[in-house]
Amino acid sequence: MENSLIALGGAFLASALLARAGRKVGLPTIPLFMAAGIIFGPNTPGISLIDHPEDVELLAALGLVLLLFHLGLEFSLDDLAAGGRQLVVAGATYLALNLGGGLAFGFLLGWGTREALVIAGAVGISSSAIVTKLLVELRRLANPETRLILGIVVVEDLFLALYLAILQPVLSGSSGLRAVRDVVVAFLFVGAIVIVARKGAALVGKLIASPDDELLTIGFLGFVILTAGVAEELGVSDAIGAFLAGTVVAATVVASRVERLVLPLRDAFAAVFFFAFGLSLDPADASDVAGFVVAAVVLSFMLNTVAGVVAARLIGEGPDAAARISLTVLARGEFSLIIASLAVAAGLDARITPFVGLYVFVLALASPALAARPRWLAVVLRKTGAMPRSPGLRGRTAPPPARPA
Amino acid sequence: MSTFNDPVTEQDLPGIGRRYQMTDDSGQVITVIVHHSGRRDVYVPCRAHDVDAVSFTDDQARRLGAVLAGVYFKPAAVAQVEAVIGGLLIDWVTLHEHSPGVGRSIAELEVRKQTRMTIAAIVRGDSSFVAPDPAMTLEAGDRLVVIGRPEDLPTFLHAVVT
Repeated sequence: MENSLIALGGAFLASALLARAGRKVGLPTIPLFMAAGIIFGPNTPGISLIDHPEDVELLAALGLVLLLFHLGLEFSLDDLAAGGRQLVVAGATYLALNLGGGLAFGFLLGWGTREALVIAGAVGISSSAIVTKLLVELRRLANPETRLILGIVVVEDLFLALYLAILQPVLSGSSGLRAVRDVVVAFLFVGAIVIVARKGAALVGKLIASPDDELLTIGFLGFVILTAGVAEELGVSDAIGAFLAGTVVAATVVASRVERLVLPLRDAFAAVFFFAFGLSLDPADASDVAGFVVAAVVLSFMLNTVAGVVAARLIGEGPDAAARISLTVLARGEFSLIIASLAVAAGLDARITPFVGLYVFVLALASPALAARPRWLAVVLRKTGAMPRSPGLRGRTAPPPARPA
Repeated sequence: MSTFNDPVTEQDLPGIGRRYQMTDDSGQVITVIVHHSGRRDVYVPCRAHDVDAVSFTDDQARRLGAVLAGVYFKPAAVAQVEAVIGGLLIDWVTLHEHSPGVGRSIAELEVRKQTRMTIAAIVRGDSSFVAPDPAMTLEAGDRLVVIGRPEDLPTFLHAVVT
């Protein structure tokens, strides 16, 4: 398309229509925005709205920045502290299994060490957005295991921040002293921002706060985009810069207003990010990576099942809860794509894009259907003796003790 | 006077909001989810499926909450409907024709001095008077919003309402 407004408008509208059709059958939006990018991209017959993903590079980068800014904004270590030991144990188990499995899988592929690190992250971290949405839409919020699932997601979010902090220096491929220096710079930057979040939030609040919604929006956008840019310039990645900017703004007095104001912006630009990711996918590449993707999906499914069983045992629940945990946290989405896009930017093995793209596509589309029907897995767990007996309806009739309101 | 004999448990749901659960007389767990977005979900166990749920917007939830709290209509069988926040009581009372307060002004009744309670607002028909003028004369049918210490409420009820 010659006219860039027609191209962008068409991209938005195609994404919206496709995702709306998907919603009717309970599909999440992320894979459908990607599908819109594939269908209306250069690699499939028919209309190509945008021929080069680079044409929307800046808008897609804004999507990535705002996704992580919002994550940082909502992120709270208090959530972890309030959840206690169970939650940390469940989250750590989940990550150890899935990242460990992902890393081993990455090395088995033999694409390289840096590629293996990227695959570990892309395969190991659940999609906060899809998991949360599934719990709300499947009416699971009253279930005993729901808090634990959300806890696992919070632990994963925290891990993602640490992972992104070290990923960029590793991806840049420097070695020896330079690599050490890069990692040190990354951690100094992260440390500096954390100190700002603790001590200087009032100052940042003064910088961006305005009683006027319009001026607050412009102010926080300036702050987050600038922080992301500085982070990128220092070799720490814009993603972690945006996340940290979110944690800083979360400590200011305008936090709740920013949370509300950023949502429509995040949704719009994140859609462009997913659409652009779809543009870079070529269905012709799918056959090259299909075998690997099937293997990765099976691996994730197994590891999630083990993690689900461990988590259910922690809270004294049986195979039903274990099946619900496993099949819900199996969803993959925005974080896997963000990690893959960082790898592409660093010039890693080109097969990572189709591999992660197809992997996310399969699990994002399959997870709602799987999570809605957990019974068969519970039966399998019971019959194979992996989890002998359900403690019955105890969890449903007596909620775990919590502090009285 | 009712107090919270049945514990309502409160838990954080990271990324979603807060969860409140209470057990009804038949042992069923009723769950209310207050979303960060303002949406409320009420979950009730159900025979056919595991659970049934209804969702409300913030506005709908507040109206329903007011109905449940007995703001519009207080059943006769219930002694008092009240809310206690940090030791401070907020209550609604409706004056009837023979209430001792009817026909007298707040100043005449010396409400604050005699009962140590404060009339925070008066709802009369469609209009409401927040922080009413002490010279205002109370009428039958007025709904008074009162604030004070729980132990002072009986004195107030005796002097003004019953």
